[in-house]
Amino acid sequence: MPRYFIDTSDGDRSLRDEEGIELADDAAARLSALDALPDMARDVIPDGDERRLSVCVRNAESEVIYHATLTLAGRWEQDPHPQTAAPDGGV
Amino acid sequence: MTEFEPLLRMLSHRDVLSDDERELVSGLKRRVVRVPKGGALVATHSRPGESCLVFQGFTAREVFLKSGERQITAIHVPGDFVDLHALTLKTMDHSVVALSDCVAAFVPHHELLRVIDKSPHLGRLFWLSTVIDAAIQRAWIAGIGRRSSAEHLGHLVCELYCRLEAVGLTDGQSFRFPITQPELADILGLSLVHVNRTLQDLRRRGLIVWKGGTLTVPDLEGLAAMADFDPTYLNLVVEPR
Repeated sequence: MPRYFIDTSDGDRSLRDEEGIELADDAAARLSALDALPDMARDVIPDGDERRLSVCVRNAESEVIYHATLTLAGRWEQDPHPQTAAPDGGV
Repeated sequence: MTEFEPLLRMLSHRDVLSDDERELVSGLKRRVVRVPKGGALVATHSRPGESCLVFQGFTAREVFLKSGERQITAIHVPGDFVDLHALTLKTMDHSVVALSDCVAAFVPHHELLRVIDKSPHLGRLFWLSTVIDAAIQRAWIAGIGRRSSAEHLGHLVCELYCRLEAVGLTDGQSFRFPITQPELADILGLSLVHVNRTLQDLRRRGLIVWKGGTLTVPDLEGLAAMADFDPTYLNLVVEPR
């Protein structure tokens, strides 16, 4: 089976795949790469309002054959109100 | 050493067994089978007339989706019955596979019932082992549902360390765990690529070392703290059951 290298970034930490994995074909490599995006997002969101997660697939010749980005673009539309007291007087 | 030695060690961490009880367990009729890595121990939808006890190696309970994707719902280590519940469940809703080369003892249900009749205490201990399986499942559900990947992986490693230590299969801070990253992904319910990232993260932080199928935990307390691991659910306390 061909070897693919899947590089990833969660917006904080970029990791270059030095070992690679054997996958059936280009389509399988794309799926493997995309599957990582929600997993990475789950670990880092809601840390920060702006974040770019990306995955990049290189083939055995180290050529980039596929690249995908998942972007978080969050912003307040109104300034957040400070926390108000609960009805029982607690915060 | 009989095939029941790990089981007796495992039970001894939860209660005191009399010599008679040890003899009853050691005397159980069984069929010893070597199952190679990847081989099936129990098939889904089967109605086994035996319960399978792991003597050597690791086994996994697995559920397959029609897409072909797999979720491993439990790992069993030496001393564990993988399907004691089949005694009452009758029809299996999942299959059991060897994660590594295994040696298993298949005990006929009528033998287990014979021993339970002779010793209700042993019956309660067998019941306890299925109840602990359920407690482990609860911890796994919380991990899959709510933990970050690093916490989840760390929690699994801490759990395996405790379970293997109870059956004498740890060597200082290390234990054999010869599974692949794809299998780890099926255990954690994570993508293969993200499991690789998470492993690298824990390695970089000095929390785990995994080389040649051996896992080492240089700082078990540190890993347990990071992973929010509390061993209470494993019930590794000796008290009358």
